[in-house]
Amino acid sequence: MSEAAQFAIVTTIVVGAAIVLGTIAPVLMEGRAVTRAFDNMARQPSVADRIRGLLFVVLAILESGAIYVLLICLILLFANPFEGMLGL
Amino acid sequence: MSVESVFPQTVFRLLGIPVKDSVLQALFIVLALSIFAVVTSRRYRVWGPRPWQLAVEYLVETIENLIRDTSGRSLPQLVPFLTTMILFIATANVLGIIPLLQAPTRDLNTTVALALVALGSWIYYGVQSRGIGGYVRSFVEPVALMLPLNILGFFSRALSMTLRLFGNVVASEVIGAVLFALVPVLGPLPLTILGLLTSVLQALVFTVLTFVFIVDAMGQEEERAETTASAS
Repeated sequence: MSEAAQFAIVTTIVVGAAIVLGTIAPVLMEGRAVTRAFDNMARQPSVADRIRGLLFVVLAILESGAIYVLLICLILLFANPFEGMLGL
Repeated sequence: MSVESVFPQTVFRLLGIPVKDSVLQALFIVLALSIFAVVTSRRYRVWGPRPWQLAVEYLVETIENLIRDTSGRSLPQLVPFLTTMILFIATANVLGIIPLLQAPTRDLNTTVALALVALGSWIYYGVQSRGIGGYVRSFVEPVALMLPLNILGFFSRALSMTLRLFGNVVASEVIGAVLFALVPVLGPLPLTILGLLTSVLQALVFTVLTFVFIVDAMGQEEERAETTASAS
């Protein structure tokens, strides 16, 4: 197997594993945040609008954990710095 | 439209510096928003306002309410800055919905520039509120041992804001491009709609975080004012 093919295979496997493992924690935490928010919206409908507004902002911030993983994956796929070093 | 076309292309070179298309798109937004602002303020009417004027007033009031809800005090000097920031980022993020145009925030340089503006605003309002000595002293609070951590935290805030905005915009554009390659007709539509939502939301998040860190840099001005008021 040529070095380029090896490089492509390893990159693909690593990126696939990274996106699976890296999104587990953010998604679980987002689920917890949504559960608590809905619980409290049902308990206190008077502040439901404020909770909903804050929930979206908090979700967007929690989402950034998964976004960092995606960024690393995109860099590995499209702008891998080691590609030039190996001369592929 | 392939995945590679999501990333910014060099249009021309100015004095040997490559100029990406995201720069031109950002300048286009600046121009459009400036014309919009001038026209809206020229046609300002107290009686019988037009829908556009009402929309802008609604936005400014939303920012004012946001400031009051988040920090518990009204800071009128921040309203123009934050409104400009949310307008620019929201417009920049949804610009990709127009054919032949793409979101300038999909370029890392644009988001770095925005984060540098935010970083400058933290220093500016911090120095304005506490004085240079007070602001520098805030880096060695609570103990001098925290100085490296505080400096690191100061820059990593800007870094995380940069990457968050960039990542979200690039993610939605890449997903759109990949789905377009698989199912060209109506395939990317649901994710485009979701992308519109997250784009506007990220503009809000960027603005709220900038504001929260400005308030952090300004310190407890309110308490000091209250103690002087109660002392007199």
